[in-house]
Amino acid sequence: MMRDTRIRRLPMALSALVALALAVLPVPSVLEALRPDFLVLVVFYWSIESPRAGGLTLAFTAGLALDVIHGVVLGQHALALTLMAAWATHLRLRLRVFSILSQCLTIFALLTGYQFVLFWVDGATGNPVTTFGRWLAPVVGALLWPVLAGILGRLHER
Amino acid sequence: MVAFRSTDTSGRTTGLLLRCVLYCLLALALIIVDKHYDHLGRIRRLLSIVAYPVQIAVASPFEGWDWFRESVTTRDALRADKAKLEAELRLAQFRLQRYEALEAESLRLRALRNNTAGITDRFLIGDVMDLDLDAFRERVLVDKGARDGVFVGQAVLDSGGVFGQVARVGQLTAEVILVSDATHAIPVQINRNGLRTIAVGTGDMGRLKLPYLPTSADVISGDLLVTSGLGGGFPAGYPVGTVAEVKRDPAQSLADVDVKPAAALDRSRELMFVWLRPQASSPVPAASATSGASVAPSGHAAAPAPAQPPSQSAAAIPPKTPPPAKNLPPAKTPPPAKTPPPAGANDE
Repeated sequence: MMRDTRIRRLPMALSALVALALAVLPVPSVLEALRPDFLVLVVFYWSIESPRAGGLTLAFTAGLALDVIHGVVLGQHALALTLMAAWATHLRLRLRVFSILSQCLTIFALLTGYQFVLFWVDGATGNPVTTFGRWLAPVVGALLWPVLAGILGRLHER
Repeated sequence: MVAFRSTDTSGRTTGLLLRCVLYCLLALALIIVDKHYDHLGRIRRLLSIVAYPVQIAVASPFEGWDWFRESVTTRDALRADKAKLEAELRLAQFRLQRYEALEAESLRLRALRNNTAGITDRFLIGDVMDLDLDAFRERVLVDKGARDGVFVGQAVLDSGGVFGQVARVGQLTAEVILVSDATHAIPVQINRNGLRTIAVGTGDMGRLKLPYLPTSADVISGDLLVTSGLGGGFPAGYPVGTVAEVKRDPAQSLADVDVKPAAALDRSRELMFVWLRPQASSPVPAASATSGASVAPSGHAAAPAPAQPPSQSAAAIPPKTPPPAKNLPPAKTPPPAKTPPPAGANDE
């Protein structure tokens, strides 16, 4: 069993690293607000697909990495990501039998919840970002979900 | 596989909840400690070292591409570039000729008044790393950090003028908050007549605002704004921007003034960190630290303040246009327009 988890951890760490890099990849400023939360989607995928291998620890670590790399208050993304990953883990058996559309809708709800926690912490620590733009990321993220799940599924099966 | 997972589920439901609660409490504790205390500074610095390879890995392909493009430019393009740079250099040297003499004179005069605050001492050049930190905040990451002596609140310039100030320092990197960030404010002075006020960021890289000028203020479009050096954060006399548009609505008591920043906020790749000369002896900054703190919040600007002459804390705006001579603050009065290291820098 040890070997089993270890095998599954490699693609997990790799995909998380790539997603972290995508989170700070420079893009034209028009597209900046549309950038989906790649790392969040990746964490959701692993929480749904194999919660044993990483689960909440992955979520918390990834959140901390996002905090450091975005330079916001430590724990903000960690809190949001842990909460939503726990929710995703809770829903995972249902999610697997959902149609693509329902999956996207559920992911949209999770991503919106994630943004909401970020929004709340932003406000509570005195740096509210009230632009409408921040609510676009969940939409793009949800649309991207089938593609991302497909790619990660391939990676997972190998 | 599937069977394994389903047995797995039932046993782990409580575990999931417990771990979720534990991690959330940990995250909340981190947020509170990071917000209210200073203990996490060192941890954050260490973590920023861990993040550094990722940042390098993301930024380097773009830098490599830039390098590649640069190295394949034609000879003609290089020649044209060289001619242009030489012309610029000549112009700059013309302007510089009198600078030394003027600086010496300024130092002498300031020494007479026992006020050497805001004179630059030394520079350090840093490169902007090609990363998007946050879509909704105006920040950049620069490749100089605590190791190079960079500190929080330090003024940052580019070749055009004031760029911003250091908001957070890592071991190897520093985060610079731009003058155009919505939480940033900087004490400025109109070069033409010495009128002092505060320039506030808008969240838009091409625009600053002067929200505290009354409609009767002597400001016209084209006016150059320079740092006033009050508050001690920024060196005095560096260009911040030029007034682009002044809208005076007779029904309002405050004018609506747009400023175009002097620094190339969206293009600069090289920034200068500035160290100010340590002050000889002056009680000024200590006194000003408290008096000016109330000016900064940008929400203050929205409430149309009645046109009574601002008395103590709001004294950033002289009620009428006073004669220029009066405006140069005597060394002893607490400078009213002290801007705290902007709200954004502190509050996180």
